[in-house]
Formats: sequence, structure tokens, C-alpha cells
Amino acid sequence: MYIIIVGGGSVGYYLSKALIDEGHEVLMVEKNATKCDRFEDELGSVCLTGDGCEVAVLAEAGAARADVFIAATNEDEDNLVACQVAKHKFEVSRTIARVNNPKNGEIFKKLGIDCPISVTNLILEHIEEEIPTHALIHLLTMSEEKTEIVEVRIGERSTAVGKSVKELTLHPDSILVLLMRNGQKPQVPTKDTILQAGDRIIALTPIDNEGVLRKELAGS
Amino acid sequence: MKVIIMGCGRVGAQLASLLDAEKHNITVLDVDAHSFRRLPPAFGGTALLGDGTDEEMLKKAGVEGADAFVAVTQGDNRNVMAAQMAKHMFNVPKVICRIYDPLRKDIYEALGLEAISPTTVFAQLLKEKLLAM
Amino acid sequence: MKFEKILVAASGTGADEETVKLACDLAKKSKAKVYVVYVIEVKRSLPLDAVIESEVQKAEQVLTRAEDIASDRDYEVMTGLIQAREAGPAIIDEAVERGVGLILMGVTYKKRFGAFSLGRAIPYVLEEAPCHVILFREPTP
Repeated sequence: MYIIIVGGGSVGYYLSKALIDEGHEVLMVEKNATKCDRFEDELGSVCLTGDGCEVAVLAEAGAARADVFIAATNEDEDNLVACQVAKHKFEVSRTIARVNNPKNGEIFKKLGIDCPISVTNLILEHIEEEIPTHALIHLLTMSEEKTEIVEVRIGERSTAVGKSVKELTLHPDSILVLLMRNGQKPQVPTKDTILQAGDRIIALTPIDNEGVLRKELAGS
Repeated sequence: MKVIIMGCGRVGAQLASLLDAEKHNITVLDVDAHSFRRLPPAFGGTALLGDGTDEEMLKKAGVEGADAFVAVTQGDNRNVMAAQMAKHMFNVPKVICRIYDPLRKDIYEALGLEAISPTTVFAQLLKEKLLAM
Repeated sequence: MKFEKILVAASGTGADEETVKLACDLAKKSKAKVYVVYVIEVKRSLPLDAVIESEVQKAEQVLTRAEDIASDRDYEVMTGLIQAREAGPAIIDEAVERGVGLILMGVTYKKRFGAFSLGRAIPYVLEEAPCHVILFREPTP
């Protein structure tokens, strides 16, 4: 694949290295010429000096033939614009934007960015998983199927404690895939499996449905 | 008209002043309090310290009841982001933004945003003046 | 100076003539092998292995000319065509791979925007080459 990454900060740099190692063709676009030179010294001809939001720069970068476009600068608005230019001017099929301010994740989705990723949110979720009221972690979003894979912890005070799976009120398209209980091997829950406090469930759920799932299982 | 202006640089301040003189309801947003010095002493509108790309700030500025939103900060990208938020999230009827880069302006016009590129406008103006001689 | 292997980076300009002659003269003493390479710089809007007819034709002309110049000097050179994003790193890679002791480059007297310019590849090779480098510049026009 041909992948363009805008932003030569740590995210851009490590992404590039990883993707190059996997055998993809990668181009970084970075405004600072010195940084660019350093990347080229280490990784080869993989860095273009320029502003990744400008049409002329992206044209030079060959954006029209890119399979994936990633905007990983420190500024959300730059990431937004770079992705929008890539999508609307160069018709790149997959645009991914790093989102620093978690609130912008929703906004970016509304404005057509395929995949906004907020590191802040990812970390918050892992911290908050320890607190029973926010017991849901996003593991994977499958945007084409409009489905998410999440991990939910059954809270002490959840109404799900002591219930069997079939007694839960779940969205028809939600699937409880795996049950992890302390001291036991992971198992696939059946409709008769009784849930206990402290259980962790890996579930498949439609993207808009996680609030309901959280309430039903985590008990917030 | 209730107008929100994002960016109290020379253009933003002058626009605010002109509209205020015609008795419109103006709110000016800027991230730098020092920029509000550009507003006339008798300015009757509101000057608010804040970032127009922040949803909460836009609400505080009254975007939900606004008739118009103008984005004229120094940054093309911030202008474009705020304008899109005003238009698509808050459905402000009239949204205009400044985009210096003519090529980016074309893209956003195609996306339904009203955008003005001072670069193009001024170059055109100069050309007319030169050729009229 | 005695070298076992010499790499000539052809520029496609008039300077190539003297550069190839010089390479042959230097090579004769130690019966060194001479490689003449021409790098096609492929823009990023195309994949690296794209075939650009006009460039390939030009490259072939340049390399054939080099072979002719060498044979006039009673010497045999090997030629090669490389496609890369940037000529500088490609020349260095080639030099390292072949283990050459000398890189020869030629440049015409060119002014870009009114100022004398060596372009990008030459300064890069001068800085990064692990072996000897000789840069041949034509007289001013």
C-alpha cells in the first residue's frame, strides 16, 4: 500500500517506521526541513518537506495514488483540513486523523473523516475501567459493518449480576463473544451462563448501542 | 442581525465596527485579549476571549441563535474548521470564512462553504488597476 | 590514484563526455572496471517502477553515448539504468553495493534564478560518499 503521513512528530515517525517494516511504501510530509533531513538519513527517501494541508504539496506527494492518508500533527484543525483535502481533492479512500481534543472526535466524524482517533480517550478509558461507573473499553471499531468490539466489566451493583445471558435486555445485534472470569479460562458465554460481578465480557455491538450495553452490563 | 465574528485581527475588528455602527448584534471571539484593543471605544457588541473551534465556546458566543458566522483568524485551517462547525453542527444560516490559499478555498466552496480568498481578490484588483492605466 | 572500480554518475548533460573520458583514463592504469549509471528520478505521483517512455529513451541515449565515448578511448564500460525517488541516495547505494573506490560526476556551469547551483544530488554525494569523489565542472560559457 502507499501510505502518506502528515506530521513528523513521534506519532508520525513511529508509524512510518512500523509501516515501512511491514513492507508498505510510506511518505511523511513535514514542514520542518531539518526534521525531514533526519528522517531521510535514517529511513531513506521517505520525507517531503512541506505543509500537508496544501493542495500543491499533496499533489507532489502523489496523494492521488495513496491508499491511506493519515494526519498526525499536533493541531486538530490541521489534521482535519489535511484529511478533507486528501478526501475531496485527491479522493483518497481511507483518511485517518489524530484527534488531540477528545471533543473533536465526534465533530470530525460528522465532517466526513473516516477514522478519527483520540489517544486521550483511549487512555482515559483504560484508566476509567478501574472505576466501575465507566467500565467499557473500545477495543476495535469496524466502521464498514458499523460495529464495535468492546470490553465491559460487570459492576458490583449492576442489574446483570446473577442474571443469565438470556435474561439480559440486549440489542438484537449485540453478541456476547467471550467471558473472562478470575481464576478461570476464558469461555464463550451461552444463553444460560450466569453473570457475576467482576466478570469481563467481550462483546460485539452496533456503534450507536454502546450506552445501552454499558447500562445493562456495567450497571452505571 | 446577530453575527458572530471569530478573529479580532484588522479585518475582524473593522467588520465588527462597521456592523456595530449599523446597530447589529455583534459578538467577537479571539484567543488573545490584546487583540480586542482594535475595537472602537464605543463598540456596543460583546468581546469574548475564547477559541471558535471549541464547541462550548461557540455556544457561549451564542452560535445557536446566530444569523451569521464569520471566520477571519490568521489560520486558514481554524477558519475552515469553525465555519464547518457553525454550518453543519449549528445550522447557522450564513457562514463565511477567509481562506488565504486559493486552492483550498476551491475545495471548501465545492463542499458548500462560502469562502473568500484575499489572495485571489487582491491579485485581481491589482491586475485591474494596472491594466486600466 | 589507483582504483579497482569506478562509478560514473551520468547527468545527461554535456559534461558527461569529459567525465567518461576521465574515468577511462583513470581506469586504464589499473585496468579498473568502470560503471556508468543514469538515474531516472520518479515523481511521487507515480509508483517507483513506473515506465516513463521519454525518460527511458533519454537514459538509453545517454548511456549509449557513454559506451561510444569509452570505445573511442579503447575502453569498455558497463552501463546501468536506475529508477529512484532521488538521485543522490541512489548513486550512493549503487557505489556501496558495487564497492567502488571512486565516484565521478560532471556538472555544467548552470545558474538557477541567477545564482550558481549544483542541484541536489551533487552536494548529497559529496557529503555522503564513503569513497573518493571527483567532481568535474565545465568551463563557464
